[in-house]
Amino acid sequence: MFNTNGIQRRYLGMNQQTRKEEALEEVQPNLQLQGGLRTFAFRPQRMRNEVNPMQDGTVLGARGAHAIALSGISKMFGSVTALHLTDLSVDKGEFLTLLGPSGSGKTTLLNLIAGAFGPTTGTILLGGRDTTATPPRERGIGMVFQNYALMPHMTVFENVAYPLRVRRESAKAIHDKVTEALERVGLRGFEDRRPRQLSGGQQQRVGIARCIVYSPAIILMDEPLGALDKNLREQMQGEVKRLHKDLGTTVIYVTHDQEEALNMSDRICLMSSGKIAQLGTPDELYFQPCNQFVAEFVGESNLISGEMNADGLMMIAGNRSISVPGAMRTEGLELLVMVRPEKVRICGMDEAVTDNSNQLTGDVVSSSFVGGMTRVTIKTDNGLNITAKMVSCRAESRHVSGARVRVCWSSSDTVVLNK
Amino acid sequence: MSPAVLAVIFIVLPPLLYVFYTSVYGPPLSLAAYGEVLTSKLFRQTLSTTLIIASLSSLLSLLLGFVVALHLARQPARRRAILMLLVLLPFWTSILVKCFAFTVILGREGIINNILSWIFDAKVQLPLVLNLVGLLVGMTSFLVPLVVLPVLASLVAIDEAIYRAASIMGAKPPRIFWTVTVPMSLPGVFAGLLSIFVMSLGAFVVPALLGGPQDQMLSNLVDFYNREVLDWQKASAISVVLFGMVLVFAAPLALWRRRKV
Repeated sequence: MFNTNGIQRRYLGMNQQTRKEEALEEVQPNLQLQGGLRTFAFRPQRMRNEVNPMQDGTVLGARGAHAIALSGISKMFGSVTALHLTDLSVDKGEFLTLLGPSGSGKTTLLNLIAGAFGPTTGTILLGGRDTTATPPRERGIGMVFQNYALMPHMTVFENVAYPLRVRRESAKAIHDKVTEALERVGLRGFEDRRPRQLSGGQQQRVGIARCIVYSPAIILMDEPLGALDKNLREQMQGEVKRLHKDLGTTVIYVTHDQEEALNMSDRICLMSSGKIAQLGTPDELYFQPCNQFVAEFVGESNLISGEMNADGLMMIAGNRSISVPGAMRTEGLELLVMVRPEKVRICGMDEAVTDNSNQLTGDVVSSSFVGGMTRVTIKTDNGLNITAKMVSCRAESRHVSGARVRVCWSSSDTVVLNK
Repeated sequence: MSPAVLAVIFIVLPPLLYVFYTSVYGPPLSLAAYGEVLTSKLFRQTLSTTLIIASLSSLLSLLLGFVVALHLARQPARRRAILMLLVLLPFWTSILVKCFAFTVILGREGIINNILSWIFDAKVQLPLVLNLVGLLVGMTSFLVPLVVLPVLASLVAIDEAIYRAASIMGAKPPRIFWTVTVPMSLPGVFAGLLSIFVMSLGAFVVPALLGGPQDQMLSNLVDFYNREVLDWQKASAISVVLFGMVLVFAAPLALWRRRKV
């Protein structure tokens, strides 16, 4: 149940208008339980928000109202299904990443939340309010675009002030808020520049400032760092993460870069051909991928297929057997297992190998040194290609191609995938 | 020197220089023609008519052309290409043909007056041609495509994401129009305005065929001195003045555009 004290403390501690409203929405059902008098005190607020009592009861009464709740939504463009029937809910303050290859439906999902078009089926609740048919400008969201989408004819200050001018705020409030937002993204002193006088990274900082300046409850980011080079991208990832931590806003982040997703997200929603392939924390996606697509898309993987034998071992190519984790499986069951390359160890032919390890012999095919890590590909005697990844060492102690080696991995590092 | 510069020097410049030469060499060499032209009442009247008609028709064409360009910019690319044809067809048609067409449409016994007569069952003969109305209709029809092309180019170049951004930030369509569409189309608007104003300063066929005697412009005055009075020196002097006016109006706009780009 609700901890009233905690919520009220949160409520009192917050300054920004929107946060107040959010907290208020959480408090409301509780207050209704406590007595009519206080509920009455909050009436004007409720009426201003146009939340009718039934929605209060059904949506806000549920524990921890979701910032975003999509139920049964799908989207067709003509006869093409861009998004199959999907349910998704996002908690307040959560950083959720929509990850997937192009055409996987992640942008469609984002655009449905943004209101660029309506869903073919289903409903969209934002902050407990049915916004399925609400135009974008009334959804209380902010958006950061891949190509920045700044107004080229306005100065940085005017760009950031735009949403405030739309809301007819006073000149002083605009000045203070814009200054604070620019401070947050480290662009004080750039107020009078035009967007094209700034670097890509700076332009995107303006884009972010323009978004946070009016404190939207939800911020959507559509591949915001996609146009930046690698080093800058990593730096900006840290900045976006820090901003999210400071502001506590709900963030929906679209990217096709899995490292970015793993680095930044509370949860990742991995999409594939218009469906959610897996929804979970970065840890879950990396260490417990549910199927082959997830295993291959997130990180690198060695996939081995085979079937169970009578001894509870898995028979793989070349009549070799390996042990896999988990309970006994019936004989003849076909399995697909995955081992991450960094969990594969390469040992010399005469080196002692610990028990409970699976091992295969083979020849090194190639070895590529890419900085901190070295990737070695081994062709095993039973015809598998196994990739191993290890911390790099100097050239003289790296494995050369053609060398006979053994590859070993612990059975507990083996992940059984759903076929 | 680039080929373009050479072309200007050897192809464009000689006739201009010859006109200038004719205006100052009677013989003898004198500026008398300029003095006479600038002090004549006919010239002053024609000059003010020219400025008024050029401004009016430029403004009208800009308004109409902007609306057309706005509509075209919002169409999907294929549809836009087809609709563009409707803009370009009259543009490719000879101006003489268009003027005669307007005479047929607007004349005393023209299509419009005939339809009105039929509706009201009475003889309607609105004076729509050989006056300011006819002249403005003709000028606008001639100039609109010259506005549509540059304005459309500016409008199409606006990143669609900017509209989305503005609308997500809470702006309603009218505000988006005034804060995004209009300011971002200004380069095209000025390019269009520059070309149509300059074109309309030198308009000749349209005022001759669709305007009344009160609506004759400087080019028609040049023609008058050339063919009726046979005073080539004065005709040349007026041409040079007209040319100077074009420079005066075009230069600031051209400079402004260069600064913006």
